[in-house]
This record gives sequence, C-alpha cells and structure tokens, in this order.
Amino acid sequence: MIITKKRDFKALLENIADYKSFFLVGCSECASLCGTGGKPELAALKTALEAEGKTVTGTMLPKTGCQTLGTKIELKKDKDACAAADAIIVMSCGAGTQSAVEIFPDKPVFPSNDTLFLGNMTRFQMFDERCSLCGECILDKTGGICPVTACPKGLLNGPCGGTNEGKCEVSPDIECAWVRIYNRMKKINRLEDFKKTLSPKNWSASRKPATLNTREKEEVKK
Amino acid sequence: MSFRDALNSGKFVVTAEVGPPKGTDIKKILHESELLKGKVDALNVTDNQSAVMRISSVSFCKLLLEMGHEPILQMTCRDRNRIGLQSDLLGASILGIKNVLCMTGDHPNAGDHKEAKPVYDIESVQLLKVVAGLNAGKDMMGNELKGATDFYQGAVVTPESNPIEPQLMKFEKKIEAGANFFQTQAIYDIDKFKNFMSYARKFPVKILAGLVLLKSAGMANFMNKFVPGITVPQNLIDELKEAGKEKAMDAGIGIMARHIKQLKDEKICDGVHIMAIGAEDKVPEIMERAGLL
Repeated sequence: MIITKKRDFKALLENIADYKSFFLVGCSECASLCGTGGKPELAALKTALEAEGKTVTGTMLPKTGCQTLGTKIELKKDKDACAAADAIIVMSCGAGTQSAVEIFPDKPVFPSNDTLFLGNMTRFQMFDERCSLCGECILDKTGGICPVTACPKGLLNGPCGGTNEGKCEVSPDIECAWVRIYNRMKKINRLEDFKKTLSPKNWSASRKPATLNTREKEEVKK
Repeated sequence: MSFRDALNSGKFVVTAEVGPPKGTDIKKILHESELLKGKVDALNVTDNQSAVMRISSVSFCKLLLEMGHEPILQMTCRDRNRIGLQSDLLGASILGIKNVLCMTGDHPNAGDHKEAKPVYDIESVQLLKVVAGLNAGKDMMGNELKGATDFYQGAVVTPESNPIEPQLMKFEKKIEAGANFFQTQAIYDIDKFKNFMSYARKFPVKILAGLVLLKSAGMANFMNKFVPGITVPQNLIDELKEAGKEKAMDAGIGIMARHIKQLKDEKICDGVHIMAIGAEDKVPEIMERAGLL
C-alpha cells in the first residue's frame, strides 16, 4: 500500500490561509490503514478546521481515491457541498490528491499528507518499504528480498565493506540486505544464485512519468 | 617501474594513500606526496573519502603523474552514473593514469553532504566489468570506442568481514569481473590473515594487505567499536597503552613495521597498502623500520 504521513497542521493552515470553506476527501484504502485519511481522521480534521474559524461544507470517503473515475462518480451525491467549498483538502496520497485535481478542474486542491513509499504493514500502523517499483523485478534472483530497496546503496552483487555483524553501516537499525539475502538463499538451497553476477539495472524501466494501458489490444480488435 | 610491472615482477610491493584536501590549498599534500616519492610503488588517491566533498581524484592523480608518481585512481560509484563513470575513466586514461581501484563508495550518510542523492547506478563488481570492457575497446552498451583504455584494475576486500561468506562470494565475483589486484581493509591479526590468504591464493590475483597506522589505544578501541570489518586484537591495544600517550604513535609504527616484515619474510601476500590517515610523513619511517628502505 501507499504509506502516508500527516503533515503538520500549522503548515496546512498556512497553505490554505487564502480560503474559507473546504470539502474534505479521504480514502478507504491505504490512507485509512495509515490513519491519515479514514473516517476518524476526516472527522478530526473537520473539527480542527472549524476550531480555526473555517467552514467544512462536507466530507467524503471514496472507496479508492486513486481510482479517478470511480471517485468522480461517488462524489456526485456531494455535488452541492463540493460546489459550496472554496477549496478541496485531500487526505490520502499524492495520487488521490491528483484524482481530485482532475475531478475539480476549477478549484484549488490541498494535500493534508506527505506521501512516503510503497510499504508493507508489519504490525498495526507500522510500515516498511520492501519494493521500490523499479519496473524490472529481480526478486527471483535475490532470494525474494529486494536489495534495490533494502540496501541503502541498492547493491546487486553482495554486501559492501560496511556490513557489520548483519547490520548496515548507514544505521544499526537497518539489517544488511545482503546478509539477509545470503541467509535466506542458504536456507532455501539457492546459494548458486548468489554466485551469479547481476547486470546493472535498466533504469529506463522506471522512467517517469510511467503509463500503462492494458486495454490497447482489446480496443484495436473492436 | 609501473605498479603493474612491480607486482608482476614478484617484488614485495608497497602502496600508500593520500586524500586530496577540501579546498584549493594543496601545499601540505604535495609535501607529503614528495616524502613518499621513490619509496612506495604507487600512491592511492581517494575519491571523496568518507563521502566528504574534496578535490577530485582524477585531477589530483594528474598532478601526481606530473610530479613523477605512480597514482592509483580510486573510483567510487556514489557520485556518478554510468555515463559519468565511463567518461571520467576515458578522461583518466588520456591523462596517463594507468591504475584504477573500483569501489562502491561510502554512503553520503557518512559524509558532509548528507542530503546528497546517492547515485549507485552501478556498483563495484559491475564497475570492474565496465573497466574490462573499456580495456577491450567497448563501452557498457557494447559500442565501439575509438581507442581503448589500458587500465590495471583493482578492488577491495574485507578479510575480517562478519559474516565472511557473502564477502568472499563477492570477492570471487570481483575476480570474475576482471580485478587484477586487491587492497584489503585493515588487518591486524596476521594469523587470521594467513587463513584468508590460503583461500585467496587459489585465484590469479595479487593481494596487498591493508594496514592502518595505530596512533593510540583510543583509536584502536574506536575502530573496534565503529569501523565495520576491522578488529584490533587486545594484545596490540595493550602494547599501545603500555607505551604511554607520548610514545603511542611510535609503538603503532613499530607494530606496523613488524607486521610488514612478517608479511614480507613469510611471503604471505604480494605487498602492503599503508594507510597512515593524516600521518603520511611517518610512512618512510615505517618502511625503514620494516627493512624496506
């Protein structure tokens, strides 16, 4: 899921200083699990804004905020509340925020969160990054642990000289990705994979802005 | 004699290291380099070591060449992508630089520009392959070069890395990628190093034992605590302590000279790489006491 972190409320207030009334959009997916854009957070932001003398014309929790078309349809029932607002505040990720930008072409849209990474939830509201969305998966060659993400240097062929009893030189809080990979490969009898030199990554596979249209072929048929 | 020829001649080779300074005043480093001239077989020039921004390694290598030194260009993958690395390698080649040490490089987190974007487009093993390719007249994409390079390429290894197995597997990958010589991370336990060498001798590469000058018991303790892959045995720490504060540096020089002598006399490895870390002026004395001068 996409991991988000609530921005400082004072900073948000500064950003929205020019406007009086707002419509708030959360998200039932990632932002709800991150505690940054679910039902309770929508209610809390509404209260906080009102305490600052702002007006909240309405709140809405879309099923999936980054699903632009679906969110647009869901927002139809809040047409009047949206129209009454000077601006929109989106309590999800950068993708959800930009869904709103598309849905509201003539209104300013403000993010209430910072978008951090694609994460795994390890325990309730604890997340870590395991995939960097690099565009060409190498997990089959690295024992299922991604060194592009787990190693601060993104090394592909083994640990650097900074590995220290299983810890990383960058921080003792980080496990050395290559020691983890070595241990796992050993456990699953795949140490042969370690011996193979991986070629430099093809970074053109993760060039921005990425697009994907899996409908193309189907359309051509029609 | 070139560094490559010296190693191939079977001579016990000595390299030392200079770190270009931060800023354009190079009087001190030129003086230190001058002291080592004619004594060491080659001088490593570090590449923004510890991720601290300094004078570029290529430029300083060129200065050393003009002064009649044999430089080893250290090249890390931290600050340049594959285009920059290859371009600088070609540039180093036309300046007459013949030796290159391929490393991944300390993370910016260790240095003085912590907010820098770490590059690591490729890493040490892949960089060695790139150098081999340039030597064969091809760039990384297989494009023909108009004129190939002729680098003697080296790499680093940490014989006391813990756990050791993944480190050794990477060492073998570096050899496969084209490394001709290795300069090791600092070693202090010669018996342990002998074990490493009995393994490393299976491969057709030259090995220079890395030696860091101990200046005090405090420094030894600090390295044990904070520098990955370095272990200073207790008996050496005691030796430094017993020497007392004023004589600690002298004791450190004695330890290194003793180690060099043993490594040479027992033909344990092909040479040594002396890292004096700020005390480069002591290198001639170390070599003298080791019986090398």
